[in-house]
Amino acid sequence: MAKKKLDIDFAKSFKELEDIASWFEEGEPDLDEGMKRYERASELAKGLKAKLDEAENRIKEIKNS
Amino acid sequence: MQVLTVTQFVTYVNDTFKAIWDPTLVALEGEVSEFRVSQGQWVNFNVKDADALVSVFMVLGKLNLPLADGMRVRLYGFPRIYPKYGKFSFSADRVELVGEGALQKALAMLRAKLEAEGLFDPSRKRTLVRFPQRIALVASRESAAYGDFIRIVEERWRGIEIDLYHAVVQGEKAPDSVVGCIERAQKNGPYDAIVITRGGGSLEELMAFNDERVVRAVYASKFPVLAAIGHERDITLVEEAADVRGSTPTDAARRLVPDRRDVLYEIATLEQGIGESLLQKIEAGREIIERATDGAERWLETFRQRVASLLRLVSSFNPDAILKRGFAIVRDSQGNILSTIAKLKPGMQVAINLRDGEAGAMIEGNQGRLI
Repeated sequence: MAKKKLDIDFAKSFKELEDIASWFEEGEPDLDEGMKRYERASELAKGLKAKLDEAENRIKEIKNS
Repeated sequence: MQVLTVTQFVTYVNDTFKAIWDPTLVALEGEVSEFRVSQGQWVNFNVKDADALVSVFMVLGKLNLPLADGMRVRLYGFPRIYPKYGKFSFSADRVELVGEGALQKALAMLRAKLEAEGLFDPSRKRTLVRFPQRIALVASRESAAYGDFIRIVEERWRGIEIDLYHAVVQGEKAPDSVVGCIERAQKNGPYDAIVITRGGGSLEELMAFNDERVVRAVYASKFPVLAAIGHERDITLVEEAADVRGSTPTDAARRLVPDRRDVLYEIATLEQGIGESLLQKIEAGREIIERATDGAERWLETFRQRVASLLRLVSSFNPDAILKRGFAIVRDSQGNILSTIAKLKPGMQVAINLRDGEAGAMIEGNQGRLI
């Protein structure tokens, strides 16, 4: 299960988080949408942090076949 | 006495040379003169020293470095007589440059040639993605460069997949080996980057990374190439053709992946900014509600005033109020209001309502004659 959680596309999630931050900076007045995006941002941040804390680098040799 | 035909003689001599000359044990070294390429496929030149000269023949395809007159070379191959013209020459399979001077000169020539072709053009260089997920690493698994690169990546980042393509990075077999790795990586991709790295060495030791075939393979790569060969001061042609250059293997690792501590900080900053923005929105929302409430109260006050004046208006229609102002209501004996003189007849009994009560009365005369 922990592995599943780490199976995120880091670049994509990071980009989404940045996009949410700029949405907030642009100052849309929609509070409902704001709550939704805030929740999504927290979820993304959690996943990104988990990946940076727990994921492992995988090194494998590609043999000449 | 044995008599040989010319053909037999040439064959005999050539066989003898082959038998006694082992190119893995003996090489011919001298200075190049009269270098030329004919018909785009044959290479002819002389090698000489102070007292002697030998002509050299070679197939262009086997010449993997640029030659020029005055370069000192070491040749591997066989001495032989060319049967058709009886010309004695050294048939070379491989050429090595000897001495730093020759290497430098060859390198300068190749650099000029490839530069003219646009292989080092800065405008075609691709940037690396910020968070690579899967990369190909072309290096020798036994090298310090490999160890350094992996150590720094491990220190800085998590969750990257590295496919190692083990390469021979020095000597005669190195160019083919490195080209093979780059080509296999093209097939096994996609990769966010191909990293090619090797530690420091002499110019001769780094020569595989100045090999034309290797440079062209880097140039042709579908995926961005990050190359770090040797030390800071050594710039090989592979690095010039690569999209990004690292000065050392360690530097290559730093250029490939960001430091996770920096990124964690960035994530925290973004998250905090978003939280603060949301709070501001909530504050702004509350103000809007408060403003709306104020407005409602003002509206309610106006409404109340309007209602009050309406009430005054309505009350002015109340008959009691009219009576208070001195008017009277006259009804017949059935209680019907008599609002016109036409309904009055002499001798008729009527009731008169005034402010404070009712009185009976009798009509005495008609209109005009009353009173």
